[in-house]
Amino acid sequence: MDFNLPGEDDPRRIKVQQWFENNPNPTYAQLAEQGWTAPNWPAPWGVGADAEMQWIIDQEILRTGLELPYTINAIGLNQCGQSLLTYGTEAQRKKFLPGALACEEIWCMLFSEPSGGSDLGALRTTARREGDHYIVNGHKIWTSAADHAAVGVLVARTDPEKPKHKGLSMFLIDMNSPGITVNPIVDMTGEKNEYNEVFLDNVKVPADALLGREGEGWKIAMEQLQTERVGMTKPGVVWGMGPTARDLMDGLIATGRISDPLIRDEAAKAYVEGEILRLLTYRNMTNRINGKPAGFEGSAGKMLSSPHGQRMADLAKRSQGVAGMIRDPDVLPLPDKKWGMFSDWDYAYWFCPANTLGVGTQEVLLNVVAERVLGLPRDPDPTAKLPFFETTKTTARAAE
Amino acid sequence: MDFALSNDHVFLQDSAAKFVNEQVDLSPLLRPGADVSHAGYDRLWSQISELGWSAITVPEAYGGLGMSYIDLIMIIGETGRTLAPSPLFGTLAGAWAMQAAGSDRQKSEWLPKLSDGLKLALAMANENGSYDSTAPDVVAEPAKEGFKLKGAKSFVVDAASADAIVVSAMLDGRKDFFIVNSGAPGLDVEILEWRDITRQVCKITLSDVNAERLEESNDQVWPWVRDRLYLVLAAESAAGIKAVLDDAVDYAKERIAFGRPIGAFQAIKHQLANIAGVSEAAAALVQYAAWALSENDQRASLAAAMAQSYASEQYKQATHRNIQIFGAIGFTWEMKNHLYYKRARCNAELLGSPASQREQVVRILEHEAA
Ligand SMILES: Cc1cc2nc3c(=O)[nH]c(=O)nc-3n(C[C@H](O)[C@H](O)[C@H](O)COP(=O)(O)OP(=O)(O)OC[C@H]3O[C@@H](n4cnc5c(N)ncnc54)[C@H](O)[C@@H]3O)c2cc1C
Repeated sequence: MDFNLPGEDDPRRIKVQQWFENNPNPTYAQLAEQGWTAPNWPAPWGVGADAEMQWIIDQEILRTGLELPYTINAIGLNQCGQSLLTYGTEAQRKKFLPGALACEEIWCMLFSEPSGGSDLGALRTTARREGDHYIVNGHKIWTSAADHAAVGVLVARTDPEKPKHKGLSMFLIDMNSPGITVNPIVDMTGEKNEYNEVFLDNVKVPADALLGREGEGWKIAMEQLQTERVGMTKPGVVWGMGPTARDLMDGLIATGRISDPLIRDEAAKAYVEGEILRLLTYRNMTNRINGKPAGFEGSAGKMLSSPHGQRMADLAKRSQGVAGMIRDPDVLPLPDKKWGMFSDWDYAYWFCPANTLGVGTQEVLLNVVAERVLGLPRDPDPTAKLPFFETTKTTARAAE
Repeated sequence: MDFALSNDHVFLQDSAAKFVNEQVDLSPLLRPGADVSHAGYDRLWSQISELGWSAITVPEAYGGLGMSYIDLIMIIGETGRTLAPSPLFGTLAGAWAMQAAGSDRQKSEWLPKLSDGLKLALAMANENGSYDSTAPDVVAEPAKEGFKLKGAKSFVVDAASADAIVVSAMLDGRKDFFIVNSGAPGLDVEILEWRDITRQVCKITLSDVNAERLEESNDQVWPWVRDRLYLVLAAESAAGIKAVLDDAVDYAKERIAFGRPIGAFQAIKHQLANIAGVSEAAAALVQYAAWALSENDQRASLAAAMAQSYASEQYKQATHRNIQIFGAIGFTWEMKNHLYYKRARCNAELLGSPASQREQVVRILEHEAA
């Protein structure tokens, strides 16, 4: 057991630093050439970095003042891109990965629909095979980044005769295809648009855009959500991103607000929770170094981190008193660094109700842990075994 | 970075598990009126000391096993999981105080006896449960030979069974450490009606009791010992959380209501999933604290206080949920659920409240920031 992270004098770090010295102000494309935008992927995409090496590379990228590639192109580099390594064809990898790795083509995740997000298996968007194409029709919603994404990772129903989870397939679609309309949705922060709705109207998708085989959509999607949750175990305020309880504590100490007894004990609680998430992240790193699959840690980590972020943001806000209710008046200082989207407590605070919604709601996550980890009985789903087309009739009838 | 137990750790944990599974029997405690003496408190001790557990972190130079705190928590996890009644806690506390405050001669005299079954205790808190280093709860006065101690201490774990007790006492305006033989005239030990009946907790009164001063006494002794005791309690608590989780999960799969196992209802499922998360979290903090203490890491005190505050507070929650999930049967004396419920609450008070450890956390961070 050893909790020390690679130090400043680590030879691996020195090599990375040397490259940055020779290449000041690099572009993401240059970083991608080094294999550093997804270091843990195998060559030629990444450098097959173990978790420590990946940590070193991330640290050095942050030092240059750049945002981490996988926060800029989260869906491409964290959640979905890796599926191409397992399920994709060589042609698909060559077509899609270079743009994603260079952060020149942003990806989005076309999963949720107006009729339901938790019950993803009940989605209604269809992909019908016609010759060397599929024709896609449907309505996706809550799609982050769809307004500027080049590639959409789409789950659609290819076989309505099969039970709901079995008739789904995954596609990589060109977001500029005719028939796609993207409408931004203003979220409750009122800040820059976070998500969108996407209409798919007779969109022609080439057959070779199918990822894996027909019917494998559910399996691949579940793996992607699991990968995504592991990333979200980190101690940042929203889904692992942004400031942590360490930054909160620093700010409370620097402003003297820590001496308020109503803040003090809760700040300590938040700090301890933040350290727990840091430790769970280290455990994920170790498991990856030792080649153990990401299992419980992902779901458990997100289950802990989502409400933690909410508590922390609430405390940051409360420490500012009534002044915090005015837009953007952050008085708690934060270290000067690129946080990405969550660059101040104010935005994190108004955003964080989403913590326990996106990437599986807290309730769904608790179900996952109870059922898959503790082996408790599954929730009944009367629609699970029926051919899908019959279930839509039943729900329609129930609604009448 | 390597957050994994080594094969040696796992081996030690497995052998400790085998021992407690075979030897610990809480059933005598499930009759009202029973106390630790009915549940193998003395019987277990001879075997535990033979296994060397009380000297596990004592340096080899003093006859100990010289192992790390990570090894220690492999064992404490198992005794904590099964609530094994024995004077291990008191003996560890006394031995650590001796290790920190004793001179080389004193350590050579006392510590090797641990492997022969020596039982120790450490008397720190006063009758109010305060660990205040300025309270004159016991006062030392120079005597012809050594010192005489006068005063009272309470919440002394395993004092009634100890062969000797390390006592903190006021001398020249500071708290030094003294060792007192259990048979010394003027020493009165009263066993308290401590609610956690898997542990023996006592009050001691000293009326001019002969004592020997531990020659390296200084104001860093107690913080050093306390961090280690935090680790022990936190390791017990983390293991206890896992134990009550496992029991409740098993029960939730068996108990039927409305035609379904109660574990099929989300109100139950979600409570259990939350405890599963907390259980992982507490275990991670405990392992980190054990590592930090073993490495003398600069964050060791912080890590120990974090582990104790979190694990003991969450243990309280988990044991309460556990009783709720069992229903009325969980509220009876004949079930062991209440033993865990009580251990959790007593663990969260014995060395000060979780809030007091969080105060330590903040102070350390304020100090780091300054
Ligand atoms: C900021 C943000 C970004 C998002 N980005 C994307 C994206 O990029 N791509 C994408 O596809 N989706 C995205 N989503 C959608 C997200 O995945 C869904 O919101 C989520 O899966 C929940 O679905 P829903 O909103 O339809 O709620 P519903 O499924 O309708 O749930 C409503 C409520 O019912 C509860 N509930 C549902 N089923 C159960 C059950 N079995 N047991 C107990 N309670 C239950 C839920 O927990 C919730 O409280 C995003 C959401 C947010 C907030």
